[in-house]
Amino acid sequence: MPSLRDVQSAFAASALFGDTAALASLGIVANGLDPAARIGIYRNNVLGNYRKALAATYPVVQRLVGTAFFNTAIDAFVRAYPSTRGDVNRYGAELARFLAAYSPAHDLPYLPDVARLEWAIDQANIAADAAKLDLDALGAVPPEALGGLRFVLQPSVRFIVSPYPIWRIWQVNQPGHDGGDSVDLGEGGDTLLVRRDSQGVAVERLAAAEHALLAALAARASLSAAAARATEVDRDFDLRRVLRDRVADQTIVAFRAPPIGRSGSQG
Amino acid sequence: MSTTPPLPAVAGIGLRSPHVARVRRDKPAIGWLEVHSENYFADGGAALAALEAIRTDYPLSLHGVGLSLGSADRLDTGHLSRLKRLAQRLEPAIVSEHLCWGRIDGRHLNDLLPLPFTREALALCCDRIDAAQAALRRPLLIENISAYLRFDADAMTEWEFVAAVARRTGCKLLFDVNNVYVNAVNHEFDPLAYLAAIPGDAVAEIHLAGFDASGPCLVDTHGARVAPPVWALYRATIDRFGPKPTLIEWDTDLPALDVLLDEAAVAQAILEEADAVAA
Repeated sequence: MPSLRDVQSAFAASALFGDTAALASLGIVANGLDPAARIGIYRNNVLGNYRKALAATYPVVQRLVGTAFFNTAIDAFVRAYPSTRGDVNRYGAELARFLAAYSPAHDLPYLPDVARLEWAIDQANIAADAAKLDLDALGAVPPEALGGLRFVLQPSVRFIVSPYPIWRIWQVNQPGHDGGDSVDLGEGGDTLLVRRDSQGVAVERLAAAEHALLAALAARASLSAAAARATEVDRDFDLRRVLRDRVADQTIVAFRAPPIGRSGSQG
Repeated sequence: MSTTPPLPAVAGIGLRSPHVARVRRDKPAIGWLEVHSENYFADGGAALAALEAIRTDYPLSLHGVGLSLGSADRLDTGHLSRLKRLAQRLEPAIVSEHLCWGRIDGRHLNDLLPLPFTREALALCCDRIDAAQAALRRPLLIENISAYLRFDADAMTEWEFVAAVARRTGCKLLFDVNNVYVNAVNHEFDPLAYLAAIPGDAVAEIHLAGFDASGPCLVDTHGARVAPPVWALYRATIDRFGPKPTLIEWDTDLPALDVLLDEAAVAQAILEEADAVAA
């Protein structure tokens, strides 16, 4: 008698990959319906669940390629990139990578970057909440210690950099979008900040210098090191204004003193 | 142990995201609500905050679909700890899961897949339920699933398997009447024989839903009203077990909230008839 593991491995091979030897090894009771038809019900259910779940995560990708193309691509994606968690809401991170290598989609070179944007938006929705930065504590930091602080970004923050105008592509493919839906791929790329605020997930374009600053902060650089990166990109970068705005909109939510230093840290 | 009071033996509905705003605003008269646990595994965000707000107005049940208690792979302790974190945050009256498997060789199929009713599968499920109940520090409710195939290897009936799980682990049962009916049609058995084998004092919740009959098998889609023969089996179930908290589940082609409330009212009337007979 096959072990439980054998049965389950054969079930997966048969349901997902149509493995006929695996199907035969399962020992399915026919009882008026062919075992292949019985396992086919599971194939339809499993693939249908993923199509539905990923269409909810990637509505713009689905709209750009059409439902039939999308479903075929998702079936191939599921086989190539297994779900590993019982929480289907966390499945699909690698769709962009899959699409980049998926030759039927090569006519749409921006598609993987649109997928990255949609994944960032989806995950920003469920990222951890964060309290506002404590301005009094920040005010108490001596000026000479400010450069050594490490600022903490809100957990929902993601950056998407693309050589394509993916933000306009995303916008013109929203339900209820009115106005023109033509996009000039030659208009240039986008650097986007995705984050959650009290109204939901917000997406905005970032200037290169601000992106340099925030990406460095996200990588745990000190304020002075991050500011140096921004200034390399733009000599006129207004650090004070950007910090004030990003604390106010809660992109920056906390700060920490350097590992060895004065007291007064928080976060 | 949880100190949350048990669910009342009245009708509830499955709460799905399109209905959340209206439930928050209108607070419809319904005995309790159930959500899919995994839909709230978020670290934060608006959906979780909305459920916390709703939680103050209604008793809540957490219904899991992804723990894969019957999998030959090891128990996913990460999944279990996320469930535990959620249960600590929401203090639900009930935490339930399915008697099924979903993951093998590291791949999760994210579906409720059928087990062979073998001694090996029974022992494994009981071990996993013991482990999950110990980790969560509360009894789990375990639900019988719909199935579209049976294995030659089966050494017992489904109802013997379900009853043995309850007896061995002390878990409670979430008795899904629609799933019993679907399986009775698909595998040609008498649903009343199933009902007779289930220990009534273990049953802590009942599920009702609609199926799809367009193919060669009944398929449990949760996409229609409860079918007349399922209502009849529900009456027989309440006759045998007494009134139990009863949920209307709807997932596919979700209709307006009022349709779910209508279905719940039908279940509520049956529960009240049983109460009247008992009194």
